[in-house]
Amino acid sequence: MPSILELNHIHKVFGAVKALDDVSLHVERGETVAIIGPSGSGKSTLLRSVNYLEKISAGEIIINGKALVKSPHGKPEYLPEREIRRMCSEIGMIFQHFNLFPHMTVLGNITYAPVKVKKQPLAEAEKEARRLLEMVGLADKAERYPAQLSGGQKQRVAIARGLAMQPELMLFDEPTSALDPEITGEVLNVMKTLAEQRMTMLVVTHEMGFAREVADRVIFMADGHIIEQGLPGEIFENPQSERLKNFLSSVIR
Amino acid sequence: MDIIVNLLHSLADTLSLSNLLHSLANSLDYAEIILPSLLKGTVMTIKVFFITLIFSIPLGLPLALGSESRLWPIRCFCRFYVFIFRGTPLMLQLFFVYFIVPIYTGLMIDAVTSAMVTFVLNYAAYLSEIYRGGIKSIDRGQYEAAACLGLSRPQTILGIVLPQMVRVVLPAVSNEMITLVKDTSLVYALGVTELLKAARAAVNRDGKLMAYLLAAVIYLILTFGLTKLQNYLERRFSKHEQRSE
Repeated sequence: MPSILELNHIHKVFGAVKALDDVSLHVERGETVAIIGPSGSGKSTLLRSVNYLEKISAGEIIINGKALVKSPHGKPEYLPEREIRRMCSEIGMIFQHFNLFPHMTVLGNITYAPVKVKKQPLAEAEKEARRLLEMVGLADKAERYPAQLSGGQKQRVAIARGLAMQPELMLFDEPTSALDPEITGEVLNVMKTLAEQRMTMLVVTHEMGFAREVADRVIFMADGHIIEQGLPGEIFENPQSERLKNFLSSVIR
Repeated sequence: MDIIVNLLHSLADTLSLSNLLHSLANSLDYAEIILPSLLKGTVMTIKVFFITLIFSIPLGLPLALGSESRLWPIRCFCRFYVFIFRGTPLMLQLFFVYFIVPIYTGLMIDAVTSAMVTFVLNYAAYLSEIYRGGIKSIDRGQYEAAACLGLSRPQTILGIVLPQMVRVVLPAVSNEMITLVKDTSLVYALGVTELLKAARAAVNRDGKLMAYLLAAVIYLILTFGLTKLQNYLERRFSKHEQRSE
Protein backbone atom coordinates (compact mmCIF):
# COMPACT_ATOMS: atom_id res chain seq x y z
CA MET A 1 0.00 0.00 0.00
CA PRO A 2 1.41 3.42 -0.93
CA SER A 3 1.96 6.18 1.63
CA ILE A 4 -1.15 8.26 2.08
CA LEU A 5 0.89 11.36 1.36
CA GLU A 6 4.20 11.79 -0.39
CA LEU A 7 5.81 15.17 -0.77
CA ASN A 8 8.90 14.96 -2.96
CA HIS A 9 11.37 17.82 -3.45
CA ILE A 10 8.85 20.59 -2.90
CA HIS A 11 9.98 24.09 -3.76
CA LYS A 12 7.93 27.19 -3.17
CA VAL A 13 9.15 30.65 -4.04
CA PHE A 14 7.42 33.89 -3.05
CA GLY A 15 9.16 36.53 -5.13
CA ALA A 16 12.76 36.29 -4.02
CA VAL A 17 11.98 34.33 -0.85
CA LYS A 18 12.38 30.56 -0.81
CA ALA A 19 9.54 29.51 1.49
CA LEU A 20 10.14 25.83 0.81
CA ASP A 21 13.51 24.63 -0.40
CA ASP A 22 13.57 21.01 -1.51
CA VAL A 23 11.33 19.57 1.17
CA SER A 24 10.43 15.87 1.12
CA LEU A 25 8.09 14.18 3.55
CA HIS A 26 6.11 10.94 3.58
CA VAL A 27 3.14 10.32 5.83
CA GLU A 28 1.92 6.77 6.46
CA ARG A 29 -1.66 5.71 7.10
CA GLY A 30 -2.76 6.17 10.72
CA GLU A 31 0.23 8.30 11.57
CA THR A 32 0.09 11.59 13.47
CA VAL A 33 2.88 13.87 12.33
CA ALA A 34 3.54 17.17 14.07
CA ILE A 35 5.42 19.93 12.30
CA ILE A 36 7.09 22.44 14.60
CA GLY A 37 9.40 25.34 13.93
CA PRO A 38 9.76 29.09 14.21
CA SER A 39 7.32 31.34 12.34
CA GLY A 40 8.34 31.87 8.73
CA SER A 41 9.92 28.42 8.59
CA GLY A 42 7.54 27.34 5.81
CA LYS A 43 5.55 24.81 7.82
CA SER A 44 2.14 26.36 7.07
CA THR A 45 3.08 26.80 3.42
CA LEU A 46 3.99 23.11 3.25
CA LEU A 47 0.66 22.11 4.80
CA ARG A 48 -1.32 24.42 2.53
CA SER A 49 0.44 23.05 -0.55
CA VAL A 50 -0.99 19.61 0.16
CA ASN A 51 -4.56 20.66 -0.62
CA TYR A 52 -3.82 23.28 -3.24
CA LEU A 53 -4.29 26.38 -1.09
CA GLU A 54 -0.77 27.21 -2.23
CA LYS A 55 0.61 26.33 -5.64
CA ILE A 56 4.11 24.91 -5.42
CA SER A 57 6.95 26.15 -7.64
CA ALA A 58 8.37 22.67 -8.26
CA GLY A 59 8.12 19.17 -6.86
CA GLU A 60 5.71 16.30 -6.58
CA ILE A 61 2.68 15.75 -4.34
CA ILE A 62 1.24 12.25 -4.33
CA ILE A 63 -1.91 11.56 -2.38
CA ASN A 64 -2.94 7.95 -1.96
CA GLY A 65 -0.74 6.92 -4.87
CA LYS A 66 -2.20 9.55 -7.17
CA ALA A 67 -0.14 12.55 -8.24
CA LEU A 68 -1.81 15.90 -7.55
CA VAL A 69 1.16 17.63 -9.11
CA LYS A 70 4.33 16.49 -10.82
CA SER A 71 7.26 18.45 -12.14
CA PRO A 72 8.87 16.24 -14.77
CA HIS A 73 10.38 19.23 -16.57
CA GLY A 74 11.08 21.41 -13.57
CA LYS A 75 7.75 23.22 -13.83
CA PRO A 76 4.76 21.99 -11.80
CA GLU A 77 2.02 20.25 -13.76
CA TYR A 78 -1.22 20.05 -11.82
CA LEU A 79 -4.21 17.84 -12.47
CA PRO A 80 -7.31 19.59 -13.90
CA GLU A 81 -9.24 21.72 -11.36
CA ARG A 82 -12.15 19.31 -11.14
CA GLU A 83 -9.85 16.40 -10.27
CA ILE A 84 -8.00 18.49 -7.71
CA ARG A 85 -11.29 19.48 -6.09
CA ARG A 86 -12.32 15.85 -5.79
CA MET A 87 -8.98 14.83 -4.31
CA CYS A 88 -8.90 17.74 -1.88
CA SER A 89 -12.42 17.01 -0.66
CA GLU A 90 -10.94 13.82 0.75
CA ILE A 91 -8.48 15.79 2.83
CA GLY A 92 -9.84 17.63 5.87
CA MET A 93 -8.40 21.02 6.70
CA ILE A 94 -8.58 22.81 10.03
CA PHE A 95 -7.62 26.48 10.06
CA GLN A 96 -6.20 28.70 12.74
CA HIS A 97 -9.23 31.00 12.42
CA PHE A 98 -11.80 28.21 12.07
CA ASN A 99 -13.39 29.67 8.91
CA LEU A 100 -16.83 28.46 9.83
CA PHE A 101 -19.64 29.77 7.63
CA PRO A 102 -21.18 32.47 9.85
CA HIS A 103 -24.58 32.51 8.14
CA MET A 104 -25.22 28.80 8.75
CA THR A 105 -26.04 26.98 11.95
CA VAL A 106 -23.55 24.48 13.32
CA LEU A 107 -25.57 21.72 11.69
CA GLY A 108 -25.66 23.64 8.39
CA ASN A 109 -21.89 24.08 8.49
CA ILE A 110 -21.34 20.36 8.91
CA THR A 111 -23.92 19.09 6.44
CA TYR A 112 -23.44 21.60 3.61
CA ALA A 113 -20.50 19.92 1.88
CA PRO A 114 -21.63 16.30 2.31
CA VAL A 115 -25.02 17.21 0.80
CA LYS A 116 -23.66 19.38 -2.02
CA VAL A 117 -20.44 17.56 -2.86
CA LYS A 118 -21.08 13.96 -1.87
CA LYS A 119 -24.81 14.15 -2.68
CA GLN A 120 -25.64 12.62 0.68
CA PRO A 121 -29.35 12.81 1.57
CA LEU A 122 -29.90 15.63 4.07
CA ALA A 123 -31.40 13.40 6.76
CA GLU A 124 -28.43 11.07 6.59
CA ALA A 125 -25.96 13.96 6.64
CA GLU A 126 -27.69 15.44 9.68
CA LYS A 127 -27.62 12.15 11.50
CA GLU A 128 -23.91 11.86 10.83
CA ALA A 129 -23.39 15.52 11.84
CA ARG A 130 -25.10 14.91 15.19
CA ARG A 131 -22.93 11.86 15.77
CA LEU A 132 -19.80 13.94 15.08
CA LEU A 133 -21.04 16.75 17.33
CA GLU A 134 -21.51 14.17 20.04
CA MET A 135 -17.93 13.08 19.51
CA VAL A 136 -16.53 16.60 19.85
CA GLY A 137 -18.77 17.23 22.85
CA LEU A 138 -21.13 19.76 21.28
CA ALA A 139 -24.31 17.75 20.79
CA ASP A 140 -26.39 20.55 22.35
CA LYS A 141 -25.08 23.25 20.01
CA ALA A 142 -26.40 21.92 16.67
CA GLU A 143 -28.87 24.77 16.13
CA ARG A 144 -26.53 27.57 17.21
CA TYR A 145 -24.77 29.99 14.92
CA PRO A 146 -20.96 30.26 15.05
CA ALA A 147 -21.17 33.77 16.59
CA GLN A 148 -22.83 32.19 19.61
CA LEU A 149 -19.93 29.82 20.28
CA SER A 150 -16.60 30.26 22.04
CA GLY A 151 -13.36 29.89 20.10
CA GLY A 152 -12.77 26.37 21.36
CA GLN A 153 -16.30 25.35 20.44
CA LYS A 154 -15.92 26.87 16.96
CA GLN A 155 -12.74 24.90 16.36
CA ARG A 156 -14.41 21.68 17.48
CA VAL A 157 -17.28 22.38 15.08
CA ALA A 158 -14.68 22.95 12.35
CA ILE A 159 -13.19 19.56 13.13
CA ALA A 160 -16.62 17.95 12.94
CA ARG A 161 -17.20 19.72 9.62
CA GLY A 162 -13.93 18.34 8.28
CA LEU A 163 -14.69 14.83 9.49
CA ALA A 164 -18.15 14.88 7.89
CA MET A 165 -16.45 14.52 4.50
CA GLN A 166 -14.92 11.25 5.74
CA PRO A 167 -11.37 12.30 4.94
CA GLU A 168 -8.48 9.88 4.97
CA LEU A 169 -6.10 12.64 5.97
CA MET A 170 -6.65 15.63 8.23
CA LEU A 171 -4.48 18.74 8.06
CA PHE A 172 -4.33 21.10 11.04
CA ASP A 173 -2.87 24.56 10.49
CA GLU A 174 -2.07 25.88 13.97
CA PRO A 175 -5.49 24.84 15.26
CA THR A 176 -5.08 26.33 18.73
CA SER A 177 -3.07 29.46 17.99
CA ALA A 178 -6.11 31.74 17.98
CA LEU A 179 -7.47 30.34 21.23
CA ASP A 180 -7.05 31.46 24.82
CA PRO A 181 -4.54 29.19 26.56
CA GLU A 182 -7.08 27.79 29.00
CA ILE A 183 -9.33 26.47 26.22
CA THR A 184 -6.74 24.98 23.90
CA GLY A 185 -7.14 21.76 25.90
CA GLU A 186 -10.67 21.07 24.67
CA VAL A 187 -9.47 21.18 21.05
CA LEU A 188 -6.30 19.20 21.71
CA ASN A 189 -8.34 16.51 23.47
CA VAL A 190 -10.50 16.05 20.39
CA MET A 191 -7.37 15.78 18.26
CA LYS A 192 -5.92 13.27 20.69
CA THR A 193 -9.06 11.17 20.38
CA LEU A 194 -8.71 11.27 16.60
CA ALA A 195 -5.07 10.20 16.85
CA GLU A 196 -6.09 7.29 19.05
CA GLN A 197 -8.66 6.27 16.41
CA ARG A 198 -5.75 6.14 13.95
CA MET A 199 -6.87 9.07 11.84
CA THR A 200 -3.95 10.19 9.69
CA MET A 201 -3.07 13.70 10.79
CA LEU A 202 -0.53 16.29 9.77
CA VAL A 203 -0.43 19.01 12.40
CA VAL A 204 1.39 22.32 12.28
CA THR A 205 1.50 23.40 15.89
CA HIS A 206 3.11 25.50 18.57
CA GLU A 207 1.80 23.15 21.26
CA MET A 208 4.95 21.30 22.21
CA GLY A 209 3.04 19.32 24.83
CA PHE A 210 0.72 17.98 22.14
CA ALA A 211 3.55 17.20 19.73
CA ARG A 212 5.43 15.37 22.41
CA GLU A 213 2.50 13.42 23.81
CA VAL A 214 0.33 12.66 20.78
CA ALA A 215 2.51 12.74 17.66
CA ASP A 216 4.11 9.56 16.30
CA ARG A 217 6.71 11.65 14.57
CA VAL A 218 7.88 15.24 14.90
CA ILE A 219 9.29 17.31 12.05
CA PHE A 220 11.33 20.39 12.82
CA MET A 221 11.41 22.99 10.06
CA ALA A 222 13.39 26.19 9.71
CA ASP A 223 14.08 28.49 6.74
CA GLY A 224 12.13 26.29 4.34
CA HIS A 225 14.03 23.11 5.20
CA ILE A 226 13.30 20.08 7.31
CA ILE A 227 16.17 20.29 9.77
CA GLU A 228 15.39 17.28 11.90
CA GLN A 229 12.74 14.65 12.27
CA GLY A 230 12.15 11.69 14.50
CA LEU A 231 10.22 10.26 17.40
CA PRO A 232 8.98 12.90 19.85
CA GLY A 233 11.38 11.53 22.47
CA GLU A 234 14.39 11.97 20.20
CA ILE A 235 13.42 15.43 19.07
CA PHE A 236 12.60 16.83 22.47
CA GLU A 237 15.10 14.95 24.66
CA ASN A 238 18.04 14.67 22.31
CA PRO A 239 18.03 17.45 19.68
CA GLN A 240 21.00 17.19 17.32
CA SER A 241 21.13 20.54 15.54
CA GLU A 242 21.85 23.95 17.03
CA ARG A 243 18.69 25.34 15.40
CA LEU A 244 16.49 22.84 17.15
CA LYS A 245 18.26 23.28 20.49
CA ASN A 246 17.80 27.05 20.26
CA PHE A 247 14.18 26.67 19.18
CA LEU A 248 13.32 24.29 21.99
CA SER A 249 15.00 26.41 24.64
CA SER A 250 13.05 29.43 23.42
CA VAL A 251 9.62 27.73 23.46
CA ILE A 252 9.99 25.48 26.48
CA ARG A 253 10.67 27.14 29.77
CA MET B 1 -66.56 98.52 31.00
CA ASP B 2 -64.41 95.46 31.63
CA ILE B 3 -67.16 93.21 30.52
CA ILE B 4 -67.40 94.83 27.11
CA VAL B 5 -63.65 94.61 26.47
CA ASN B 6 -63.58 90.98 27.38
CA LEU B 7 -66.48 90.33 25.09
CA LEU B 8 -64.70 92.02 22.19
CA HIS B 9 -61.56 90.06 22.86
CA SER B 10 -63.33 86.77 22.88
CA LEU B 11 -65.22 87.78 19.76
CA ALA B 12 -61.94 88.60 18.01
CA ASP B 13 -60.54 85.29 19.13
CA THR B 14 -63.52 83.52 17.77
CA LEU B 15 -63.29 85.42 14.52
CA SER B 16 -59.61 84.72 13.95
CA LEU B 17 -60.16 81.09 14.83
CA SER B 18 -62.92 80.85 12.28
CA ASN B 19 -60.60 82.51 9.78
CA LEU B 20 -58.08 79.84 10.44
CA LEU B 21 -60.70 77.12 10.14
CA HIS B 22 -61.98 78.73 7.01
CA SER B 23 -58.59 78.81 5.33
CA LEU B 24 -57.89 75.29 6.48
CA ALA B 25 -61.17 74.13 4.95
CA ASN B 26 -60.26 75.92 1.75
CA SER B 27 -56.86 74.25 1.69
CA LEU B 28 -58.36 70.85 2.18
CA ASP B 29 -60.80 71.50 -0.61
CA TYR B 30 -57.94 72.46 -2.87
CA ALA B 31 -55.89 69.47 -1.82
CA GLU B 32 -58.79 67.23 -2.68
CA ILE B 33 -58.97 68.77 -6.11
CA ILE B 34 -55.30 68.29 -6.98
CA LEU B 35 -54.75 65.02 -5.16
CA PRO B 36 -56.06 62.72 -7.91
CA SER B 37 -53.57 64.06 -10.43
CA LEU B 38 -50.77 63.81 -7.87
CA LEU B 39 -51.73 60.22 -7.08
CA LYS B 40 -51.78 59.42 -10.76
CA GLY B 41 -48.25 60.79 -10.94
CA THR B 42 -47.37 58.73 -7.88
CA VAL B 43 -48.50 55.58 -9.66
CA MET B 44 -46.00 56.32 -12.44
CA THR B 45 -43.27 57.07 -9.89
CA ILE B 46 -43.93 53.75 -8.15
CA LYS B 47 -44.04 51.92 -11.47
CA VAL B 48 -40.65 53.22 -12.59
CA PHE B 49 -39.31 52.57 -9.10
CA PHE B 50 -40.43 48.95 -8.91
CA ILE B 51 -39.42 48.01 -12.43
CA THR B 52 -35.96 49.45 -11.81
CA LEU B 53 -35.70 47.70 -8.46
CA ILE B 54 -36.84 44.32 -9.76
CA PHE B 55 -34.47 44.29 -12.73
CA SER B 56 -31.45 46.24 -11.55
CA ILE B 57 -30.94 44.34 -8.28
CA PRO B 58 -30.35 40.99 -10.01
CA LEU B 59 -28.64 42.54 -13.06
CA GLY B 60 -25.99 44.13 -10.83
CA LEU B 61 -24.83 40.71 -9.72
CA PRO B 62 -23.41 39.29 -12.98
CA LEU B 63 -21.83 42.71 -13.54
CA ALA B 64 -20.17 42.54 -10.13
CA LEU B 65 -18.92 39.00 -10.69
CA GLY B 66 -17.87 39.89 -14.23
CA SER B 67 -15.84 42.85 -13.00
CA GLU B 68 -13.76 40.39 -11.01
CA SER B 69 -13.70 37.68 -13.67
CA ARG B 70 -10.46 35.95 -14.52
CA LEU B 71 -11.35 36.23 -18.23
CA TRP B 72 -10.21 39.62 -19.38
CA PRO B 73 -12.84 40.25 -22.12
CA ILE B 74 -15.60 39.78 -19.56
CA ARG B 75 -13.77 41.85 -16.98
CA CYS B 76 -13.10 44.67 -19.44
CA PHE B 77 -16.66 44.72 -20.70
CA CYS B 78 -18.14 44.90 -17.19
CA ARG B 79 -15.74 47.58 -16.02
CA PHE B 80 -16.30 49.64 -19.17
CA TYR B 81 -20.06 49.34 -18.71
CA VAL B 82 -19.81 50.60 -15.15
CA PHE B 83 -17.45 53.36 -16.23
CA ILE B 84 -19.92 54.63 -18.82
CA PHE B 85 -23.03 54.47 -16.67
CA ARG B 86 -21.42 55.96 -13.58
CA GLY B 87 -19.48 58.51 -15.55
CA THR B 88 -22.34 60.29 -17.33
CA PRO B 89 -25.46 62.03 -15.99
CA LEU B 90 -28.56 59.90 -15.75
CA MET B 91 -30.49 62.59 -17.60
CA LEU B 92 -28.10 62.37 -20.52
CA GLN B 93 -28.52 58.59 -20.58
CA LEU B 94 -32.29 59.06 -20.67
CA PHE B 95 -31.98 61.30 -23.72
CA PHE B 96 -29.51 58.97 -25.33
CA VAL B 97 -31.67 55.87 -25.04
CA TYR B 98 -34.86 57.67 -25.98
CA PHE B 99 -33.68 59.85 -28.86
CA ILE B 100 -30.45 58.44 -30.22
CA VAL B 101 -30.84 54.68 -29.97
CA PRO B 102 -34.01 54.64 -32.17
CA ILE B 103 -32.22 56.62 -34.86
CA TYR B 104 -29.48 54.03 -35.22
CA THR B 105 -31.43 50.88 -34.50
CA GLY B 106 -34.83 51.77 -35.84
CA LEU B 107 -36.20 50.47 -32.57
CA MET B 108 -39.17 52.61 -31.58
CA ILE B 109 -39.87 52.53 -27.88
CA ASP B 110 -42.22 54.74 -25.93
CA ALA B 111 -40.92 57.22 -23.38
CA VAL B 112 -41.93 55.22 -20.31
CA THR B 113 -40.30 51.99 -21.48
CA SER B 114 -37.15 53.74 -22.59
CA ALA B 115 -36.97 55.58 -19.26
CA MET B 116 -37.33 52.34 -17.35
CA VAL B 117 -34.69 50.59 -19.45
CA THR B 118 -32.29 53.46 -18.80
CA PHE B 119 -32.96 53.39 -15.08
CA VAL B 120 -32.38 49.64 -14.92
CA LEU B 121 -29.08 49.90 -16.83
CA ASN B 122 -27.91 52.84 -14.74
CA TYR B 123 -28.81 51.40 -11.35
CA ALA B 124 -27.36 48.01 -12.22
CA ALA B 125 -24.01 49.74 -12.71
CA TYR B 126 -24.15 51.40 -9.28
CA LEU B 127 -25.42 48.26 -7.57
CA SER B 128 -22.72 46.13 -9.16
CA GLU B 129 -20.07 48.30 -7.51
CA ILE B 130 -21.81 47.90 -4.15
CA TYR B 131 -21.97 44.14 -4.65
CA ARG B 132 -18.34 44.04 -5.69
CA GLY B 133 -17.38 45.75 -2.45
CA GLY B 134 -19.54 43.30 -0.53
CA ILE B 135 -17.96 40.30 -2.23
CA LYS B 136 -14.47 41.66 -1.58
CA SER B 137 -15.26 42.13 2.08
CA ILE B 138 -15.70 38.40 2.54
CA ASP B 139 -12.76 36.80 4.25
CA ARG B 140 -10.39 34.73 2.12
CA GLY B 141 -10.71 31.99 4.72
CA GLN B 142 -14.30 31.42 3.61
CA TYR B 143 -13.14 30.60 0.09
CA GLU B 144 -10.37 28.40 1.45
CA ALA B 145 -12.73 26.48 3.71
CA ALA B 146 -15.13 26.01 0.80
CA ALA B 147 -12.33 24.81 -1.48
CA CYS B 148 -11.07 22.34 1.15
CA LEU B 149 -14.56 20.89 1.44
CA GLY B 150 -14.60 20.29 -2.31
CA LEU B 151 -17.25 22.90 -3.14
CA SER B 152 -17.29 24.03 -6.76
CA ARG B 153 -17.07 27.69 -7.68
CA PRO B 154 -20.85 28.10 -8.23
CA GLN B 155 -21.54 26.27 -4.96
CA THR B 156 -19.14 28.57 -3.16
CA ILE B 157 -20.58 31.74 -4.70
CA LEU B 158 -24.23 30.81 -4.21
CA GLY B 159 -24.00 29.01 -0.88
CA ILE B 160 -21.21 30.79 0.94
CA VAL B 161 -20.38 34.17 -0.59
CA LEU B 162 -23.72 35.64 -1.66
CA PRO B 163 -25.66 34.99 1.56
CA GLN B 164 -22.93 36.78 3.49
CA MET B 165 -22.70 39.54 0.91
CA VAL B 166 -26.42 40.33 1.22
CA ARG B 167 -25.96 41.30 4.84
CA VAL B 168 -22.99 43.50 4.01
CA VAL B 169 -24.60 45.36 1.10
CA LEU B 170 -28.12 45.82 2.48
CA PRO B 171 -27.59 49.31 3.94
CA ALA B 172 -25.90 50.58 0.78
CA VAL B 173 -28.51 49.00 -1.50
CA SER B 174 -31.33 50.48 0.59
CA ASN B 175 -29.65 53.84 0.28
CA GLU B 176 -29.57 53.46 -3.52
CA MET B 177 -33.24 52.52 -3.55
CA ILE B 178 -34.19 55.60 -1.57
CA THR B 179 -32.20 57.70 -4.03
CA LEU B 180 -34.04 55.90 -6.81
CA VAL B 181 -37.46 56.99 -5.48
CA LYS B 182 -36.39 60.58 -5.95
CA ASP B 183 -34.42 60.01 -9.17
CA THR B 184 -37.59 58.75 -10.84
CA SER B 185 -38.59 62.42 -11.13
CA LEU B 186 -36.03 62.70 -13.95
CA VAL B 187 -38.37 60.90 -16.34
CA TYR B 188 -40.22 64.21 -16.70
CA ALA B 189 -37.42 65.09 -19.12
CA LEU B 190 -38.97 62.62 -21.58
CA GLY B 191 -42.39 64.12 -21.02
CA VAL B 192 -43.58 61.36 -18.74
CA THR B 193 -45.86 62.62 -16.00
CA GLU B 194 -44.82 61.39 -12.60
CA LEU B 195 -45.39 62.83 -9.14
CA LEU B 196 -43.13 65.87 -9.33
CA LYS B 197 -44.27 66.84 -12.82
CA ALA B 198 -47.90 66.55 -11.74
CA ALA B 199 -47.18 68.80 -8.77
CA ARG B 200 -45.38 71.32 -10.91
CA ALA B 201 -48.32 71.39 -13.31
CA ALA B 202 -50.72 72.16 -10.46
CA VAL B 203 -48.48 74.91 -9.11
CA ASN B 204 -48.10 76.53 -12.51
CA ARG B 205 -51.80 76.32 -13.22
CA ASP B 206 -53.16 77.51 -9.86
CA GLY B 207 -50.35 79.69 -8.54
CA LYS B 208 -50.50 77.85 -5.23
CA LEU B 209 -47.59 76.01 -3.67
CA MET B 210 -49.73 73.40 -1.89
CA ALA B 211 -48.99 70.78 -4.58
CA TYR B 212 -45.27 70.85 -3.76
CA LEU B 213 -46.06 70.31 -0.09
CA LEU B 214 -48.24 67.34 -0.91
CA ALA B 215 -45.62 65.91 -3.26
CA ALA B 216 -43.04 66.16 -0.49
CA VAL B 217 -45.37 64.32 1.88
CA ILE B 218 -45.95 61.55 -0.67
CA TYR B 219 -42.21 61.15 -1.31
CA LEU B 220 -41.65 60.97 2.44
CA ILE B 221 -44.33 58.30 2.83
CA LEU B 222 -42.65 56.22 0.10
CA THR B 223 -39.16 56.53 1.56
CA PHE B 224 -40.49 55.91 5.07
CA GLY B 225 -41.92 52.60 3.87
CA LEU B 226 -38.56 51.73 2.34
CA THR B 227 -36.71 52.59 5.53
CA LYS B 228 -39.01 50.26 7.45
CA LEU B 229 -38.40 47.51 4.91
CA GLN B 230 -34.65 48.08 5.22
CA ASN B 231 -34.80 47.74 9.01
CA TYR B 232 -36.79 44.53 8.72
CA LEU B 233 -34.40 43.00 6.18
CA GLU B 234 -31.32 43.99 8.17
CA ARG B 235 -32.74 42.33 11.26
CA ARG B 236 -33.62 39.25 9.30
CA PHE B 237 -30.22 38.89 7.64
CA SER B 238 -28.22 39.55 10.79
CA LYS B 239 -30.01 36.95 12.85
CA HIS B 240 -26.86 34.82 12.89
CA GLU B 241 -24.78 37.67 14.30
CA GLN B 242 -26.64 37.80 17.60
CA ARG B 243 -24.52 36.36 20.32
CA SER B 244 -27.27 34.80 22.37
CA GLU B 245 -30.67 33.39 21.56
